[in-house]
Amino acid sequence: MFKGFRTIVLKELKELIRDPKIIVGMIVLPLIMFPVLGLVIGYAQQSAVEQVQKSTLIIVNNDGGNWSQTFLKQIQLMANPVVINNTDPQQIVNQGILTKYNSTAFIEIPAGFSQNITIHINTNSNVTGVINVYGVFQGGSIFSGISSTAIAGYATVFNRAVAPDVIATAQSTVIKGQIYHGVDTSQLSGIMLTQSIALPITIMILLTYAMQIAATSVAMEKEEKTLETLLTLPVDRFSILMGKLSSTIVVGGISAGAYTIGYNYMLSTITSGVQTGSSIDLVKLGLTPSPLGYGLLGLSLFVTLLAALALAVIMSAFSEDVRGAQALVGYMYPLIFIPSFALIYLDINSLPLVAKAILYAIPFSQPILASKAVALGDYTTAALGIVYVAVFSLVIMYIASRLFATEKILTTKLRFGKKKTSTEGVG
Amino acid sequence: MSIAVEANDLVKTFGNIKALNSISFTIHQGEVYGLIGPNGAGKTTTLRIVSTLILPTSGSVTVFGKDVVKQAGEVRQILSYLPDEAGAYRNLSGYEYLEFMAKLSHVNYKDVMREAAEISGLGDRLKDKAKTYSKGMKRRLLLARALMTKPRLAILDEPASGLDVIHAFHVRQIIKSYVQKQNVSVLLSSHNMLEVEYLCDRVALIDKGRIMVEGKPADLKAQYKSLNLEEVFAKVVGYV
Repeated sequence: MFKGFRTIVLKELKELIRDPKIIVGMIVLPLIMFPVLGLVIGYAQQSAVEQVQKSTLIIVNNDGGNWSQTFLKQIQLMANPVVINNTDPQQIVNQGILTKYNSTAFIEIPAGFSQNITIHINTNSNVTGVINVYGVFQGGSIFSGISSTAIAGYATVFNRAVAPDVIATAQSTVIKGQIYHGVDTSQLSGIMLTQSIALPITIMILLTYAMQIAATSVAMEKEEKTLETLLTLPVDRFSILMGKLSSTIVVGGISAGAYTIGYNYMLSTITSGVQTGSSIDLVKLGLTPSPLGYGLLGLSLFVTLLAALALAVIMSAFSEDVRGAQALVGYMYPLIFIPSFALIYLDINSLPLVAKAILYAIPFSQPILASKAVALGDYTTAALGIVYVAVFSLVIMYIASRLFATEKILTTKLRFGKKKTSTEGVG
Repeated sequence: MSIAVEANDLVKTFGNIKALNSISFTIHQGEVYGLIGPNGAGKTTTLRIVSTLILPTSGSVTVFGKDVVKQAGEVRQILSYLPDEAGAYRNLSGYEYLEFMAKLSHVNYKDVMREAAEISGLGDRLKDKAKTYSKGMKRRLLLARALMTKPRLAILDEPASGLDVIHAFHVRQIIKSYVQKQNVSVLLSSHNMLEVEYLCDRVALIDKGRIMVEGKPADLKAQYKSLNLEEVFAKVVGYV
């Protein structure tokens, strides 16, 4: 039993380890990709905390009583707030005061605050002083809403100092410049995040799967030499290329649909318990895409898919067989995975310019960026992204069509940084 | 007799390797012309240039007067190429494969399907997926594909290589009878001397990218006082 096992294992290991495509694809890439992802997520966390630390606390005091002054003094022991008296919170938003102080949340001490606390203390009734916490919804990262959560903590400190439950907080959210009362920014961000995870995951699956199909389709033709036959037929080579891309889009689209249905079902099963009883209605808040938004999102996904497929065709044109094509296409995956994971965790606007430019330059980021933009009614960003990816796709498709039009489709092979011209078939 | 193929001073280089070194030959209409030589001699490169797949580094080739570089589209309408060790689409049936190729060749596929079925001799097996075919059956299917459109020039690279005796015999029979019946011209490559002697009207012995000698098989055997073309080749390249 197991006679020859060791010999077979050694031979298999030699075969696998000596294949540089496997070394790079299965060992080097994960060693680079996941640390990069770790850095990105760590940076997002750090920048969210720094933003809270750097921002100035704004307090709108619409109560002229003593308790509001006591509350302000209590806060001044911990922070250095800017106090604005007798102003409607909506005016704070409209006048750009939050932007001026680099703030994503503010507190309002409403009229009647001191009176309610006095009643609470004197009569021991359930009446409490309420402070209103307004958080700005920025759409998009796991750390969104951290500011409003942090400043709500001041109420807890005050209660400890004065009496339990003497004041309570009421959460409101600023969405697209409009205040929505009773909407908790952190809770809203949580719901949006749950929904926004589905899209990047679906895009990752769709693009990787479609690229594999496209690469295999061309490589199989090369391996079986059916491509040689096809290229000698009186048929336009651009038609061959477009035929391959179109059929891959169809199969990839069906696959994406199946994955989306399955994944969303899984997600709804997981989150159904969490969201029961939530009073947040995304439609009323204007956070679900409009028909135009859905259209832009679909278009963004389509041009990105086209870019991915054209890239896969080019990569496979440089390989000798199916295995080689799949390995070559695998080198593109970090360009899909890194933006997808990164944009789940962070808001692109919080990134430094270079990182932001890199993410915008990767075509595979665009559908995710478009989804976040259209949710906030920013159609320009989505449209510019579509134009960029469309131009990128056209350039790549032009290169692919040139490859198909020349003998390079049959004779060129990529060998780690240098092109090698095949002499196979000289016989 | 009109000229089917005329190649003049063909040179092809791949990087530092000179695959073809000034090759010239002419094939007449209705003639079966064979390129014989060892692996790496330049046979497939020549066939690929004539079939418009790759470009010559220098020199020219015309097929029935049309330049394979400048008029590639027109040349593709009159030739048919069968690559060495080619496969078929694994998940298409034999019929589907032939139909697909016929449609791309701009011929009425219903007209040519009966012809293709007869050439291949595969009968009801044409309804099965190509992945279930043996190597010999696959080769017969591909040969049927190459000939069913009645090309003016058929380019066949090692048409019977790797086949067992029965299948190889069948494939050669198909080519021989089809050429006589349809008056097509054939350019084929092989290193099977028996095959070449049986099929070809004229042959060129090719080695290291050069045509060493050209002529009718019987004339070459007489000229080199040899029993077969294998011996002729050995004498030409100085092996014996």
